[in-house]
Amino acid sequence: MASLSTTSLSFKAPSTRISQVLRNASSFQSVTFGRVTSSKSLRLQISCAAKAETVQKVSDIVKEQLALSADTPLTSESKFSALGADSLDTVEIVMALEEKFNISVEESDAQNITTIQEAADLIEELVQKKPAAETS
Amino acid sequence: MRISVISQLQRSFSMEFPSLVSLKLPSPMETHLWYIRPDEVKIPSLLKHYSQLLSPSEIDKVSQLRGDQLKKNALLARTLVRTTIARYQTNNAVDPRSLMFKKNTYGKPEVDWQNYKNCNIPPLHFNISHTDSLIACGVTVHVPVGIDVEDKERKIKHDVLAFAERFYSADEVKFLSTIPDPESQRKEFIKLWTLKEAYVKALGKGFSAAPFNTFTIQSKAGTKGEYNLCKTSEMTTSSLEKTNNCNGEWKFSLLELADSHYAAICIEDDQASGGAPMRVIVRKTIPFVEDELISESILL
Repeated sequence: MASLSTTSLSFKAPSTRISQVLRNASSFQSVTFGRVTSSKSLRLQISCAAKAETVQKVSDIVKEQLALSADTPLTSESKFSALGADSLDTVEIVMALEEKFNISVEESDAQNITTIQEAADLIEELVQKKPAAETS
Repeated sequence: MRISVISQLQRSFSMEFPSLVSLKLPSPMETHLWYIRPDEVKIPSLLKHYSQLLSPSEIDKVSQLRGDQLKKNALLARTLVRTTIARYQTNNAVDPRSLMFKKNTYGKPEVDWQNYKNCNIPPLHFNISHTDSLIACGVTVHVPVGIDVEDKERKIKHDVLAFAERFYSADEVKFLSTIPDPESQRKEFIKLWTLKEAYVKALGKGFSAAPFNTFTIQSKAGTKGEYNLCKTSEMTTSSLEKTNNCNGEWKFSLLELADSHYAAICIEDDQASGGAPMRVIVRKTIPFVEDELISESILL
């Protein structure tokens, strides 16, 4: 378990790696972010919240494209193919995500999206890369 | 007592499962297209018989799918591949259960003949595609094959032209934009999709090897059901100097299947048939039960 003083935790890492660390290290749940008041920790908080919201938006788009009922249980690890998506569905999902999040997905990246989490991760990465005025 | 009741039931429902009827191989430049309609296969004991043909990893994959229809269709797809390939072997030398599959470097499934090295195995190629209501398998000998099937009535959620502009080639967008009626435009979009998918699947190198906007498929003037593949290469940034490299390395066929689907087939041209179009033999099947030759293939 890493200590969370601002000097010891490196914030130079790309935000996706930080959020993956947060996802995997359950010990972080016991840390009170309120104690660390620098702007960098605020960005951490925003990454956490945005992830869940992004996953929800992606799930909604997937449900709509694949005509799944509203109460179909979807997790972030749900695979598109296991839900019945073919390649045309996947492309339509990518287009819907581009419209929803105002991003542009490279075709090679689009092909590598197989789960809801992967889509959410890619979206977060592309949104972060946009001009600073639009992010935190 | 219980056993005899079951065997009585089996006899009364004629639940004998005959061995597979063997098949004559496709000729060069000929594709055999087999399809199953899932709604025609309902008998539980038949489906159980199919499930006994699958490998443990196939059973595993089927169980990971969400929903009974998806599971059933996946079961039928694997059954179609295994039984069809087994039937082309001489003297029923191959049990469909014993077939092994592997993936090429790029993930395209193919038969793994490692256990049959000393047998006289013909170089069969296959490719499958399915929709909710139809499962198809294309088989060729000597040359790679790719197939794609789509429901004719499939609705596209986005504006068709916007979709094409995003993913198709410039010439294809031009072609689609000349179609005034939205319904015809949607149909042509779907036909193009199946042709393009079939090509990428025949190529077998994954989507990144042939992004959809780098090649154009268009119908060959003066023919019915024949298509050309042209690859777009931009030598400079000026669009005036874009060159189109149209060669005859790949043959296409587009058909209407079962009144409900478009089916596109793409095979590599063996360069030995003098430019003749691909022959396609279409058969509907229920494995172990019946085959039906579809004598009138509607070429599009």
